[in-house]
Amino acid sequence: MRNLIAFFRRFRVFLIFVLLQFFALYTYFTYLNFPRSQYLTSVSRVSGLILTVQNDITKHFNLSTNNYKLQKENIRLRKRLPESFQRMQNGWAKINDTLFHQQYEYIPATVINSTSTKRNNFFTLNIGSKQGIKHGMGVFSDKGIVGIVHIASDHFSVVKTVLTENINVDVMIEPIGLFGLLKWDGRDPRRGSITGISNDLKIKKWSKVTTRGGSGIFPRGLNVGKVEKLNPVEGKPLWDVVIRFSEDYRTIQRVYVIKNLFQEEQNKLESLIPEDKEE
Amino acid sequence: MNIVFKHIIRFIVLVAAQVLVLNQLEIGFGIQFMVYPLLIVLLPFDLGIIYMLFIAFVMGLSIDGISNTFGLHTSSLLVITYLRPAIFKLFGPRDGYDILKEGNMYEMGTRWFISVFGLMLIIHHLWFFILEIFRFDDMLFVLSKTLLSVPLSFLFCLIFQAMFVSKPKER
Repeated sequence: MRNLIAFFRRFRVFLIFVLLQFFALYTYFTYLNFPRSQYLTSVSRVSGLILTVQNDITKHFNLSTNNYKLQKENIRLRKRLPESFQRMQNGWAKINDTLFHQQYEYIPATVINSTSTKRNNFFTLNIGSKQGIKHGMGVFSDKGIVGIVHIASDHFSVVKTVLTENINVDVMIEPIGLFGLLKWDGRDPRRGSITGISNDLKIKKWSKVTTRGGSGIFPRGLNVGKVEKLNPVEGKPLWDVVIRFSEDYRTIQRVYVIKNLFQEEQNKLESLIPEDKEE
Repeated sequence: MNIVFKHIIRFIVLVAAQVLVLNQLEIGFGIQFMVYPLLIVLLPFDLGIIYMLFIAFVMGLSIDGISNTFGLHTSSLLVITYLRPAIFKLFGPRDGYDILKEGNMYEMGTRWFISVFGLMLIIHHLWFFILEIFRFDDMLFVLSKTLLSVPLSFLFCLIFQAMFVSKPKER
């Protein structure tokens, strides 16, 4: 017993160091995949407040560019309003539409904190679970997809962006409809890559890349970027497709969170598929 | 000024400078400015290592909490705090440190500060980027990030010292 106490006394500095270090690394590696609590993230009340105050000051720096972007989006949407069409036929009966049901709803949000040079970049949004934000919802802006909600507190939420290691959004290359997973290598915030594209197919440069909408997080056909380069993968019959994101993640401010009204139904149905058993 | 009070103010100013200003400066090439290791080198010479570890832990967590790094800053700050006594011993004067002095550039001299703090910054940044990227085949990228970030972080630390650390009076 005395030896044990002597051991602890001798190595107490090292033991305390290891304990604290272990705590830090443990939170880092678990929170990257799934955050257990709101503490230690920027959705906690104190850090949320600090970031809000900071954003109140800095948001004006990009005001004119953002207004311009919103105006352009408004023009695009206004073109589709009934008022901008001339009515060609009158006297149609109004029917209650049963062919189309609303599947996606959009919640507007502001990015109050963002990074783009780290290996894993997270954005903080100014809305949280009180506004209906939940873990796993998709986020996009007027130009392209942004990411997936990582954790939400009452008034703030953190988005795991496209600029992280394990984002794995399923995207497709139009018009052939080839699909693969979106990855980011941590170097250039303007470029990403798609893996899992077989090299026997011809892909045109600058063909559009959009979301596939397979997991129900993003609707089908949201903009992601354009194919910039095709690199062969050594030893595998695959292309490493380099794409250029259509959104500039360094200046992003206004985003929309996607609420899929049928998400639960899809998850419930997909959970019925029996998992492969290894024999 | 009371020494505890002085260090609390430095703590707050450094955390605020890091999360509100330096985290927002993104100039590309993977460069990140980190100014908060300065607090560790400025702590008094006679402070126990266990206290320092806890100060580093609290400081790291408060930065991690706001910048969504979940423990990365804490981990690297703990490493240099743990190594601080060894580094100080390596570059220390022959008859030990004068506990009335402080580890800043004006009191200990430019040469001492560059070697001690430079070494601490390099270890800190290297540990930080290795953990952040965590792949062996990206080692070159880790090194380039470290080599580009350390001089700029050092520069910001010099600016911080010029602003917040008082120079000793000439006698």
